[in-house]
Amino acid sequence: MNVAWWCSGTGQVWTWRYTPFLGVWVVAATLIGGYVWSHRRAGQPLDRRRFRRWVLGVLALVVVSEWPIGQIGVGYLATVGIARYVVYTFVAAPLLLAGLPTWLVQRWLPEGSRRQRAVAAVTYWPIALLIFNAVLFGTHLPVTIDTLKTTQLGSFGVDVLHLGAALIWWWPAMRPAHERNAIQEPIRAFYLFASSVLMFVPAAFLTFSPLPLYGLYELAPPLWLGFDPVADQQAAGIVMNVGGGFVLWGIIAVLFLRWAKEREAEDRAARRARDARTLARIAELEGEAERP
Amino acid sequence: MPPRHLLPRASLLLAAAALVLAACSPTTSTSLQATGLSPQPDGWRGIPIELDRQLPDVTLQDVEGQPVHLGEDHLGTPTLLFFGYTNCPDICPIHLAAIASAMSSVGVTFDEIDVVFVSVDPDRDTPERIAEYLDNFHPRMTGLHGDLDTVQAALDQLELPGPVVEGADPRGEGDLIGHPAQVIGFDADGEAHRVWPFGTRRSDWVVDLPRIVDEW
Repeated sequence: MNVAWWCSGTGQVWTWRYTPFLGVWVVAATLIGGYVWSHRRAGQPLDRRRFRRWVLGVLALVVVSEWPIGQIGVGYLATVGIARYVVYTFVAAPLLLAGLPTWLVQRWLPEGSRRQRAVAAVTYWPIALLIFNAVLFGTHLPVTIDTLKTTQLGSFGVDVLHLGAALIWWWPAMRPAHERNAIQEPIRAFYLFASSVLMFVPAAFLTFSPLPLYGLYELAPPLWLGFDPVADQQAAGIVMNVGGGFVLWGIIAVLFLRWAKEREAEDRAARRARDARTLARIAELEGEAERP
Repeated sequence: MPPRHLLPRASLLLAAAALVLAACSPTTSTSLQATGLSPQPDGWRGIPIELDRQLPDVTLQDVEGQPVHLGEDHLGTPTLLFFGYTNCPDICPIHLAAIASAMSSVGVTFDEIDVVFVSVDPDRDTPERIAEYLDNFHPRMTGLHGDLDTVQAALDQLELPGPVVEGADPRGEGDLIGHPAQVIGFDADGEAHRVWPFGTRRSDWVVDLPRIVDEW
């Protein structure tokens, strides 16, 4: 059986023969093992809901990095390659962040430590927005894809960059309000919306370029006769638009509605408290008036 | 509770072992040059041929069974000649798709350039199969076939290596056949000027195709 560390564009004819990517399993084992071990070490019980999110995030990474999706996405179809990016960015990263309990974040990033200061610097929302989009644009340049994705190490590096940039980008939008750098509406809505708009730029290049942008996919052995790399590229652009644009808008809408609901509930509670105080005051005044 | 640093160490060891295993075992990893051709000093992307080569002086058959004398019947129009086979999993479909797509992109027609595919696999490539195969790229591509000696004679005249069986097709579709991987360009007088090796991209063809029409 062939084995490899990570999926890469090999230029070899596609066959349905399983090729395990050991790096994927090492990363998955480290992420899940590290999570459980951290809880045990801290004497904290596993929060089932958070652990489920963490495992789902890892599972998303495994599904799109292991054979066959990883191999097809990196070496044969741009559409699947972009779908991998969308899953890394919009599924795996938010699930992993949602699985992180605050105590674990504080344990990993003790207040005032160098690590904490570094994370605080990169997750400050304007910086996070810049990093995310720099990685998005930089890793979708033809020269990057055609040189890095043809080697296992380069391909691994690009995937690590995608996940890292996505975690940094989601951090301010997803961490609890009381945590450092966490943002709330309306800044959060603007932050996410700005990214979705910027994502339309590479997506438009993919959709509207009359020639294949990536030699990696153009010169890969076709999966079927009559395969058209331009059509594949257009589909990739649509996947990026849908994943990065419309799905993100859905997330923005949900977060905004949740925020609006919370604000409404707070307003209602404040109104009730005010009304109660008013009624109490009226009763007090009535009591005083009735007193001889 | 596991010892304090056991898990990170175990992960590191596992990662190192996996790297070693991946590096030592026969992996699917080979280098892939995906960046296309570099521009030549004269602006063409195709590589110039310094030797004097003509369209081969052989007679093959088209998909309708009509004899075609390669060295005579294709004079008057620039010709892109390619030797391949219909079961080819990579080089042939990539070359043919790139040429057809680039011609469409720049508006060059098959009346202006002949694209000729000569089969090096007479056992499997029947005329019907060749016609069906070329239809996947463009129905105006010319498919030719002949016995192996005739095809070999054509290759010999161009000083190209003959077809060799390279082993079993990993897709389980018979044998893979090694064949010249370049497209050879002949002008309207049948003289060879340039070759386009495997790795030529559409972006290379869109530069060269209009020049073939204008200058050859």
